Amino acid sequence: MKPIRIFVAVTLFCLLVLPMTGCSQAPQETQKAEAADTKVSQLETILQRGVIKVGFDTFKPWAMKDKNGDYIGFEIEVAKRLAEDMGVKAEFVPTKWSGIIPALLTGKFDIIIGGMSITPQRNLKVNFSVPYEFSGMSLTASRKLAGDRTRIADFNTPDTTIAVRLGTTAAEAAKNFLPKAKILFFDEESQTIQELLNERVHALVASNPLPFNLAKEYPDQLYLPVKEDLTQEPISFAVRKGDPDFLNWLNNWVRFTSSKGWLQNRYEYWFYTNEWEDQIQ
Amino acid sequence: MNRSTNTKRIPITWLDAAILAALAGVIGYVAFKALTGLNYHWNWEIIPQFLLRFDEPAQSWKPGLLTLGLLTTIRLSLWAGILALLLGTVMGLFRVSPSLFKRQVASAYVGLIRNTPPLVLIFVFYFFIGDQIMTLLRVEDAIYGLSDTALEALSWLFGPMNRFPRFLSALITLALFEAAYIAEIVRAGIESVDKGQWEAAASMGMTRFQTMVHIVLPQAMQRMLPALAGQFISTIKDSAIVSVISIEELTFQAQQLMTTTYRSFEIWTTVLGMYFVLTFLCSLAVRKLELTMRRD
Repeated sequence: MKPIRIFVAVTLFCLLVLPMTGCSQAPQETQKAEAADTKVSQLETILQRGVIKVGFDTFKPWAMKDKNGDYIGFEIEVAKRLAEDMGVKAEFVPTKWSGIIPALLTGKFDIIIGGMSITPQRNLKVNFSVPYEFSGMSLTASRKLAGDRTRIADFNTPDTTIAVRLGTTAAEAAKNFLPKAKILFFDEESQTIQELLNERVHALVASNPLPFNLAKEYPDQLYLPVKEDLTQEPISFAVRKGDPDFLNWLNNWVRFTSSKGWLQNRYEYWFYTNEWEDQIQ
Repeated sequence: MNRSTNTKRIPITWLDAAILAALAGVIGYVAFKALTGLNYHWNWEIIPQFLLRFDEPAQSWKPGLLTLGLLTTIRLSLWAGILALLLGTVMGLFRVSPSLFKRQVASAYVGLIRNTPPLVLIFVFYFFIGDQIMTLLRVEDAIYGLSDTALEALSWLFGPMNRFPRFLSALITLALFEAAYIAEIVRAGIESVDKGQWEAAASMGMTRFQTMVHIVLPQAMQRMLPALAGQFISTIKDSAIVSVISIEELTFQAQQLMTTTYRSFEIWTTVLGMYFVLTFLCSLAVRKLELTMRRD
């Protein structure tokens, strides 16, 4: 390639791509053009559209696909109820957890209802409503590799390997509570479980009730070294920044629904019973 | 490829038999280890319902989750394949154009795409560029404005319409990616046509365009077809990559199922089989095509 050709190619590339990346900083939405002038709340946009788009990822039992291909789970019920109280339809947009915040920021959906815990780092990018549930992290370990360990401190050693799902607060918790351990990150929860069952890691850290259920399902191989939860994390709705009206509505929706006891009732159903298990497989 | 067909049938020697037996032994051993050595409760009974399920309320058989994913994969590959063929042909013609500018454009495009990983391209396109294009095209508004019957008809072609903007992003990315390879196939095909053909056409007073359409392309097409068909098979395989932007194709559906059922091995094995059947059928069709071409 002659230098001149390279130069032309590079110039062309710059002309094509840079304007696009340059002006895509603002979240895109078809109505965004007007929104920029008049500061229309996303709430108005949703009401006009008649559809609220909800971003989430599959986490058992927050959100799952049942046999018919419909979504079920705690978060799904919450989203449906929220849409109903708003007088619109809920449309579910399944999104990989590791890229869920960029997807919200670029306007792929209006809100994240997916068991997202509040963290200061996330809060720099998105706004959180008041928490509508609290979820704990815990740890389940392999009997063969870690059979004699009964305290969190026992897992905080350089020769310990821990499996977590990428981008979750379980990953954060593992880093904070077990800074000396070696942590392996996986994209899907099924992979972390497989690593644990194949005895390639000593333990996995995940949101309840997964560790508890795993220990119940594989009693000969796994056990719960610590009875109490590592953390108790506030779970909230996440929306884009700069929209006080939408946030205000969500906050008050949480307060209102909690006061009726509905949220607690649904949480009990999805997290402490397995009546819904036959809808999945 | 086209060895002479009159070779004698070579009898299988003892060495061949020994090698085959050794191979079978190794494969068998690995499979046995995989089945027994893993700490895994195998449970194949859950798989059939994800391929085909009986819908109680409707009293009829419906495609299962994995089958729906396979349909999306087929739709995606088909549309991306068609789009890539159009774009790739144009770019391929640009590559051999007498105009320097056109050659530059095509080389820049082909060079850029072929030297970047598809995964990264898909992310860049989905997060930065896809939005711009969707907004310009007003895709969302168009969809919300459609009647139910129109949506029904379109969902046959493109899958669930509420996911169409995403589907389109994935489709365009995949097409852009595959078109770069198709452009090279087209260029090679055109360049493989003998110089004498051009000269002969020129001596008859044909313009460059006429020569291309009537003389060169028909001959080049014949040589390109098998390679193009092979590229289409690649498109099917590459479509698995778009699972990262949550397009509900086969790979994505499989990952979702694994998260809810924790049955990774059964599901991955099934998905492997499904992809293989799909691409193998295409390969057979390509082989048939090649034979037909050779006979002509």
